[in-house]
Amino acid sequence: MIATLLVIPLTLLGMQQQDSIAVRLAGRVSPDIATLVERLGIAASARGLPVDPLIQKAIEGSAKGIPSERVATAVRWVEMQLDTAAAALREGGVATDTLVIAAGEFAISAGLSNHDITALARIGASVAALTVGLRVAGTLAAMGVPSAENIGLISEKLRSGQPAGDVLSVPGRVQAEISRGVTPAQAAAGLERAAAAQAKHGPPPGRGNPPPHPTPPPHP
Amino acid sequence: MSEHEFHPLVKQLLDGDITLAALPPELRAEGEEALRLLAAVDRSVVSVPAVTWRVMAGIERRRRRVRPWLLAPALALAAALILWILPEAHEVSLAGTFNRWDAHVTPLVRSGPTGVWTATLTLPAGQHQYAFVVDGARWVPDPGAPAVDDGFGRRNSVLTL
Repeated sequence: MIATLLVIPLTLLGMQQQDSIAVRLAGRVSPDIATLVERLGIAASARGLPVDPLIQKAIEGSAKGIPSERVATAVRWVEMQLDTAAAALREGGVATDTLVIAAGEFAISAGLSNHDITALARIGASVAALTVGLRVAGTLAAMGVPSAENIGLISEKLRSGQPAGDVLSVPGRVQAEISRGVTPAQAAAGLERAAAAQAKHGPPPGRGNPPPHPTPPPHP
Repeated sequence: MSEHEFHPLVKQLLDGDITLAALPPELRAEGEEALRLLAAVDRSVVSVPAVTWRVMAGIERRRRRVRPWLLAPALALAAALILWILPEAHEVSLAGTFNRWDAHVTPLVRSGPTGVWTATLTLPAGQHQYAFVVDGARWVPDPGAPAVDDGFGRRNSVLTL
């Protein structure tokens, strides 16, 4: 009886999920791809994985005119990377969260390893900060920053608790350094040293919050 | 120029919507500098990344004021100026995660006869993947942005705002 009571809501939830996926795929992918994504999406959702990356990949492949069998392979590959990212995050002590798992999947697709994901997760930053860190780490990997310097820099940023905006500015700053003639590794290492120094000594003059205005004397 | 974002009127100048003479006097220098950068880009494809990243850095500084973007992504928007050189193209558009990879909804505008194609977008802060679609058929990554494997043997460009 209890099992039946549990199964009915889960079945209804699965049907709702299927409808939602079908609506998002309507008119954008072939029927066989839609069926595959609905099936994979429901299973992924039941495992706590995000469904959006599967839908996006299917739509992307179809938009690019990729044959259905290759789209199916790519969607299955994304699902596998989502599983890998989720496992790496759990290994690092991070509870499942679809946004951070999707960010981990992106980082892996950009060239980071599951060990890199775990290393960043173990820093203990908030899930929101880790999500940003993983996205930026993936972007740095795409820019050619080697894993060691990449994880070193993002780890330093996460440890120092810098706001998301500062972390998101890292790719632009690395690119600016590369434009000056240094390698991606040197650029990331230099920014890591600067971040560590800033965490230790505070921001350089003129970069931090201004000192508070002195309280005016009370009127006599 | 790398120290601040382009003024909206300067962006209109870059888009070819207004002339330099139409800019207020206080923006003329910035407009001339923007045109100088644009001309530099026009002469050399490899200079696209520097300009693109300068623009993105300016945008990023403005976006930093919006911190809780993960909590309320719909409220945290950022602008992105996409710029590309392709003199021989007849039609260029952008497709990516921000428009569900629809090659028909985000066309780039050709600025003059030099083959500079631009688009100014307002996107949710965060990360987006995209590619240029040339003449409705050819998918090409942005040479000025980092790129990742798209799973289909091609590359997607990555934009972080």
